[in-house]
Amino acid sequence: MNAMTTRAERKQKFVLQGIPFIIFGIAAIPIWKALKKTDAADMQVVSPNVLSMLLNDLYILLSVSCLAILLGIVCAFYLEEWLPKNNWARRLIESHVAILTSIPSTLYGILAISIFFSYAGTLKVIDGAPPAQNTESIPFQRNTTLFCGEVLTFIFMVTPVTIKTTQEALRSVATPVREAVFALGASQWQVLRQHVVPIAFIRILAGGCRAMSRAFATAALLIGIYIWYDTTDAGGMSGRFILFLAVSLFLSVFSSSLTEVYDSDLTQRS
Amino acid sequence: MNHSIETENLSLWYGDFQALIDVNVKIPDGQITSLIGPSGCGKTTLLRCFNRVNERYGNVTTEGKIEILGKNIYDPDVSLPELRKAVGMVFQRPNPLPISVYENILFGLRIHSPMRSLTRTESDQIVEEALTSVFLWEDLKDKLKARATSLQLEQQQKLCIARLLPLKPKIILMDEPCSALDAKGTLAVEELMEVLAGTYTFLIVTHNMAQARRVSEECIFMFLGELIEHRETQALFDEPKHEKTADYVQMRYG
Repeated sequence: MNAMTTRAERKQKFVLQGIPFIIFGIAAIPIWKALKKTDAADMQVVSPNVLSMLLNDLYILLSVSCLAILLGIVCAFYLEEWLPKNNWARRLIESHVAILTSIPSTLYGILAISIFFSYAGTLKVIDGAPPAQNTESIPFQRNTTLFCGEVLTFIFMVTPVTIKTTQEALRSVATPVREAVFALGASQWQVLRQHVVPIAFIRILAGGCRAMSRAFATAALLIGIYIWYDTTDAGGMSGRFILFLAVSLFLSVFSSSLTEVYDSDLTQRS
Repeated sequence: MNHSIETENLSLWYGDFQALIDVNVKIPDGQITSLIGPSGCGKTTLLRCFNRVNERYGNVTTEGKIEILGKNIYDPDVSLPELRKAVGMVFQRPNPLPISVYENILFGLRIHSPMRSLTRTESDQIVEEALTSVFLWEDLKDKLKARATSLQLEQQQKLCIARLLPLKPKIILMDEPCSALDAKGTLAVEELMEVLAGTYTFLIVTHNMAQARRVSEECIFMFLGELIEHRETQALFDEPKHEKTADYVQMRYG
């Protein structure tokens, strides 16, 4: 059962786990082609600055979700390692995290549209009025409110999931072994740094990726709805749709293969 | 005779429950002393007091005095890492860290010394010495890079003892170290203790009276948080003074 994973086994596992990546790669080729295409008549995605706009989106969302993940990880460490078990603050935060994680991610997206985007005044989905067709108001135009909305939604979506997965990762580090490290004279900080974190690291990382993947998938879905709603596609929405979907797919495949390959007998040993 | 551990009116509460009641005990230096008694009588609690791992569970109140090597360990100037360095602990289930055998042995030392202060030759030597003194060197010298959790249970438990040795502890506490091992493993660990006694003071909690009888020179019988009898093992088993001890060692309960 708990046989040690030898290097050869790990290699083999890694190759096996590589297959989803290859499939993903094959799937990514048409996406890449679509992004590179410059024929505006063929696909509306394509105006000269679409690629830079997409990269801009990606850059912002990735950095925001990294921050949100960091916040989640720090929070989870504090909850799990420092706060006493029956502390009121811990109960409060944990129950809220449970509520936030159980909300389907699409609802977050709709919330984002209805609250944050409507304040931006560029997308009038809420009133049922068709989006403005003139050039002055471009849908999903980047302005301050919109940006804040994006950031807030991402934080709301990513942080609770990260807290949950990080807590689970920390709990999976066997208590008897932790006790042994304490009994050897390690401080709380040393136990975390030298024992717990190295073991739980992959799981924490995978949890963060999964949370991010969820957020991107929702973004892609909403953009998909938007494309269906506004067929003229003035802002390169289909490009965004494909991009977000691709990022989400990649992250979810990546996170699951992380746990499959590296999360061997380190954490769970009977 | 010198005493490495002395307690004075030691009482301990978990919340409202009093787990130890006025325990006064003197544990001789360089010998194996065993703690026996029925389940829930406070043997493990007493053991855990000696390197203050009890405090980690929160909600624990301790009163009285514990002197280890002449120093009260509840004094405010006591450093916990230093105390735990001097008083090592072996647990019920072998719990080697999920890293290589080599790193397991150096782990304690790395905690207590500044970063990168160990040279390669020094650490090689330390590992060899530690493994030799627990008779594992011959078996494991080619498997130093193997993960410690992949060893046999008996080897794991010996490794858990070996990883204490580089810290040069004075006292080794053992909490039923053989309960997860088979007869052969138990024998191996007992033999090891006998060889190491003298250099180290052993305090062993055991449910196995035959084991207490075999390995220990002195024996302590506890019952419901109180220390009932503390005498030489042979005397305690052959002519117990206290009624409760007699009942227990003659296996009428427990």
